[in-house]
Amino acid sequence: MTVVLSLLVALLCAALAGWALWFVIADRAVILRQLWGGAVVEGALVVQAVVLAVLQATGEQDVDGVLLWGYVVTQLVVLPVAAAWAFAERTRWSSVVLLVAALTVAFLQLRLLQIWGTL
Amino acid sequence: MIDVRPSTHATHPTGTGAGRLLVAVYGVLALAATARGLYQVTTKLDEAPLAYALSLLAGIVYVVATIALARDLRRLAWVTVGFELVGVLVVGTLSLVDVGDFPDETVWSQFGAGYGYVPLVLPFVGLWWLWRTGRTPDAQATSSAATVG
Repeated sequence: MTVVLSLLVALLCAALAGWALWFVIADRAVILRQLWGGAVVEGALVVQAVVLAVLQATGEQDVDGVLLWGYVVTQLVVLPVAAAWAFAERTRWSSVVLLVAALTVAFLQLRLLQIWGTL
Repeated sequence: MIDVRPSTHATHPTGTGAGRLLVAVYGVLALAATARGLYQVTTKLDEAPLAYALSLLAGIVYVVATIALARDLRRLAWVTVGFELVGVLVVGTLSLVDVGDFPDETVWSQFGAGYGYVPLVLPFVGLWWLWRTGRTPDAQATSSAATVG
């Protein structure tokens, strides 16, 4: 369950990153539709947070709670910050930031699985 | 003939354009280092007090550097980014020489290898960016232009 969710989030992030990369190359600023894409990723992250909370509360998984939730909360913050910048910076650099943000969230999924003990 | 036009604008803001990428990467590193430092200091400070205290300090300085770069606080940015450069070089070297006191636990250990050497590269990029954005087409006119316009 955790692996499937993480893979889903990572794939969504990869798609968003690819979209952002295309805009970087095309010298374009982030558009609203990409932010909706980011919102989809955020939705998946919220679902993941709920699932992890339930699993942690009920399961016998021996996991470092502080570390885990540090990452869960962190990854929820990254894309909204990138979105806020997309409004402030109307150049291709907003696309670069969105690219970095999407890759960061994807990378955090890897760390999340390591902390959870799946990897 | 070289056409030297008088500069009417002050220094380029550090937190816009390409600077936003710098602020973004600094932000991610600040978050990672601070969260890790807080975690280390609150849960296992007695294991390696020096390394974990340094870890937290590094994180806090990254946060300040991020804010300084984002808000165009140039002097603060110079100091904090410079501090990181010194930090990563000193702690990186010490971590290679004296393994006992510096377990592989701070952002700066092994010159930031645990973070893809980003902590080593970033201060150089940051200082270069501060220098670049600080230049105006004619440096002599900077002070007068600033007072006039």
